Amino acid sequence: MARIGVFVCWCGSNIAGTVDVKRVAEEAAKIPGVVEAVDYKYMCSDPGQNTLRKMIKDKNLTGVVLAACSPHMHENTFRKAAVKEGLNPYFIEIANIREQVSWVHEDKEKATEKAIDLLKMMVEKVKKNKPIEDVRVPLTKKALVIGGGISGIQAALDIANGGVEVILVEKEPSIGGKMIQLDETFPTLDCSSCIMTPKMVEVYQHPNIKLYTYSELEEVSGYIGNFNVKIKKKARSIVEKDCTGCGDCWNICPMHKNVKSEFNVNLSERTAIYVPFPQAVPLIPVIDRSVCLHYKKGGKCQKCYDACGPKCINFDLQDEIIEEKVGAIVAATGYDLMENSLYGEYGYGQFKDVISGLQFERLLSASGPTEGVVKRPSDGKTPETIVFIQCVGSRDPEKGVPYCSKVCCMYTAKHAKLFAHKVHGSQSYVFYIDIRATSKGYEEFVRGTMENEGAIYLRGRVSKIYEDNGKLIVKGADTLSGNQVEIAADMVVLATGVIPKKGSDKMAQMLGISYDKYGFYTESHPKLRPAESSTAGIYLAGMAQGPRDIPESVVSGSAAASKILGLFSKSEYEVEGTIASVNKTTCVGCFYCRRVCAYSAISKEEIKDRNGNVLKVVANVNSGLCAGCGACVNACFSKSIDLKGYLDEQIFAEIKSLAV
Amino acid sequence: MEKMNDKLQKTAKELLENKEVNLIIGFTKGSNPLRMRSVFITDPDDVSKLSFNAHCVQDLAVFLKKPEVKKFGKVGLIVKGCDEKAVNTLIQEYQLSRDNIKIIGVECRGVVKQNLADKGEDSVKQSTVYDKCLVCEVHTPLLYDYLVESDEPAFEINGDIKPYAKIEELDAMSVEDRNMFWQKEFEKCIKCYACRQACPLCYCTRCIVEKNTPQWIETNIEETGNAQWNMIRAYHLSGRCIGCGECERACPVNIPLMLVNEKMARDVFEKFGYKSGVDINAKPVFGTFDANDFNEFIK
Repeated sequence: MARIGVFVCWCGSNIAGTVDVKRVAEEAAKIPGVVEAVDYKYMCSDPGQNTLRKMIKDKNLTGVVLAACSPHMHENTFRKAAVKEGLNPYFIEIANIREQVSWVHEDKEKATEKAIDLLKMMVEKVKKNKPIEDVRVPLTKKALVIGGGISGIQAALDIANGGVEVILVEKEPSIGGKMIQLDETFPTLDCSSCIMTPKMVEVYQHPNIKLYTYSELEEVSGYIGNFNVKIKKKARSIVEKDCTGCGDCWNICPMHKNVKSEFNVNLSERTAIYVPFPQAVPLIPVIDRSVCLHYKKGGKCQKCYDACGPKCINFDLQDEIIEEKVGAIVAATGYDLMENSLYGEYGYGQFKDVISGLQFERLLSASGPTEGVVKRPSDGKTPETIVFIQCVGSRDPEKGVPYCSKVCCMYTAKHAKLFAHKVHGSQSYVFYIDIRATSKGYEEFVRGTMENEGAIYLRGRVSKIYEDNGKLIVKGADTLSGNQVEIAADMVVLATGVIPKKGSDKMAQMLGISYDKYGFYTESHPKLRPAESSTAGIYLAGMAQGPRDIPESVVSGSAAASKILGLFSKSEYEVEGTIASVNKTTCVGCFYCRRVCAYSAISKEEIKDRNGNVLKVVANVNSGLCAGCGACVNACFSKSIDLKGYLDEQIFAEIKSLAV
Repeated sequence: MEKMNDKLQKTAKELLENKEVNLIIGFTKGSNPLRMRSVFITDPDDVSKLSFNAHCVQDLAVFLKKPEVKKFGKVGLIVKGCDEKAVNTLIQEYQLSRDNIKIIGVECRGVVKQNLADKGEDSVKQSTVYDKCLVCEVHTPLLYDYLVESDEPAFEINGDIKPYAKIEELDAMSVEDRNMFWQKEFEKCIKCYACRQACPLCYCTRCIVEKNTPQWIETNIEETGNAQWNMIRAYHLSGRCIGCGECERACPVNIPLMLVNEKMARDVFEKFGYKSGVDINAKPVFGTFDANDFNEFIK
């Protein structure tokens, strides 16, 4: 016989303000099986939980229903309290009378009626509850980090320093990401490569890190603690272990024209066999087969091979597939910049001296195409006047994206500052919408650009840029003075918006994690679980989640690492027991369940007789993979799948409780 | 017809003799000249019983789900184009292994409505065949191991008869009137489940209607339970029903079940561009999610 205790929480005035909690408790007490129903100001408080525990003990309760806030908030709190009194945690049910009642209704009378109905449903449900055991899955204590930018590097180093093996996969021939392309970094102006290269080298030399560059993730299966990944190691055409990085090959390569350097954002050329930049890690070249004469002209050219001392060039190397088993994954796939060409009025691509912010970084950089001397791409002259345009694509729902790209205000201020440092007597103009400089030292930094370097900030947008007599004429509005302005500039730098890395949606689909409408990966909880993805065992870091600056990217890499180290500190991982289970007697093996399962949790199981003959094939749920979403339950024609904790019988009892 | 029958019998004989199949399911002459019934042949000497004509109405694919047939392992099935789509769906839904079936496809020119045949009708024309024959796109089966060509000419369609005309009529009705129409039809249901038994794709060994903890569908014969049963069955067949019409033919109280099935099939094709039973490797529409799926109903 059911002995159910009911607790109606006031949540201060949150619930009690709109719901007559006393009446709800009185009505609950009348439901058969309810031994006692009480109301209390804050059930989640210590005294509240003690009331719950006391009643479980004193009344020997078989089930508990709380009419309170969303189970998302305190289900665990109450489950833990129940476990302390020896009750199976899944005998706690919550009727959500806050989010689903008091917060969304005004009429107290009707809200109270609804609260009573929801409570009744839960009482009928809990009568049908069955004990559920949590599932324990083993953990492979090895992590995979996807992306070798600063956040991926940070995550890999932190995990590796915690004593756990890490596999770092990077698509490009070198790690370093976007950060290594930057010149100096705001707000302290330390040189990016000076602070970045030691970290890259540390990754390369770390005994716990296995680095796969020029490699891509090909396939992911499995679940938290037990992922199987296939990594495609693209053929570099170099026998890596023999290469000394001497440079004889790339220095002799005849293909040194017409191939734009990705690293220098098309501002210089590179050879067919190349390292993206001198500090590349690993310092091993790669042959770009799409342009290399050896591949294009049927093997005629092999100058690099001839020049190579250790003879480590092998034109016949093939892509390799490497299989690894890992327990956790960090997705740190980074970002791209929006196409400047979307903004025809700014003339990007049309006028050589209209460049992107990242191109300007390369012009400032000592390792860049101009060795750090600011020169116009068109004629190599040093510009004296530069117009910087902020929010190119950002905060522009019409043509670009509605969100703020976050870093552009700061790097534009930095650009203007560095330009003033490098070209004395020069003048910067910055068109902006708002200045967003909210971290430590940021506001002072922007102020410094304005006040010490004399950059002129104009609040407004640029309407048109055209070339006139070797100058770029920038027409725009200064909305603060209400004047139209026209500036004759030598160069224009566009602060282009940040978008997710190309292909990050495909990556998300492969990993089975969710992403927003822009393609940024979504967090399990935007505030309280910012390092976790929607899928257990997969963590997020860096710009793949949304625009952020370097310190934030580093923090997010460390956050993901600390989550993984925490996960790996236990011997097994515990999964909630509310998972699907198959009635193998009635299952006919149509596998619609498998088709709809987003977690690949359903496999085929052969039912055999004692002689080993297969009698039938039925669905089997992998308890480690199942997320308890219930899609399979819906797909099953014969109702042969049930979701523990949400059994058909329980749902039916809930519905029936409302029957009049 | 003689040439067809010769080829049928020859194919069946070879298959049985070469032990490529252990059982042939086909048609044979029934109780009167205009009735054909199913026949199960295991002995190569019995193949002379096999025959095909415009009265071979039954969808023999229904037998493939029976344990009595399954235990034979490799089976040869004589099948019309429409019914062959059921074989495809069974393969698609893992109920049948392609290796275990030899499909002896027959080219069909249409089958005569049984109620007319019983009155002596023997000619194949647009006024005598089933509606499904008027919209048939598979006179030649889509998938077969052996094909037996027809020696009959195709009948003429001049548009005088509109197949499934009632669907447009129902579509034009108000929701209330349409509901009333179906209420009246379902009222007749006696829950004999003949529709389910005759259906080649109702292969669950425990039908949802037989689940009793909890009992989602009322089993007694009354308004709610009747509507529940017929509608849930329609849903379970949407994107799956291949339109053989066996449910409607089996119904002892003449509920026009093909109207529901055909309407569902049209909707599925219109909204998701999917036709059932066409491709054994296709992903069934109910088991597939596409971000571009029609979702007007989510407001």
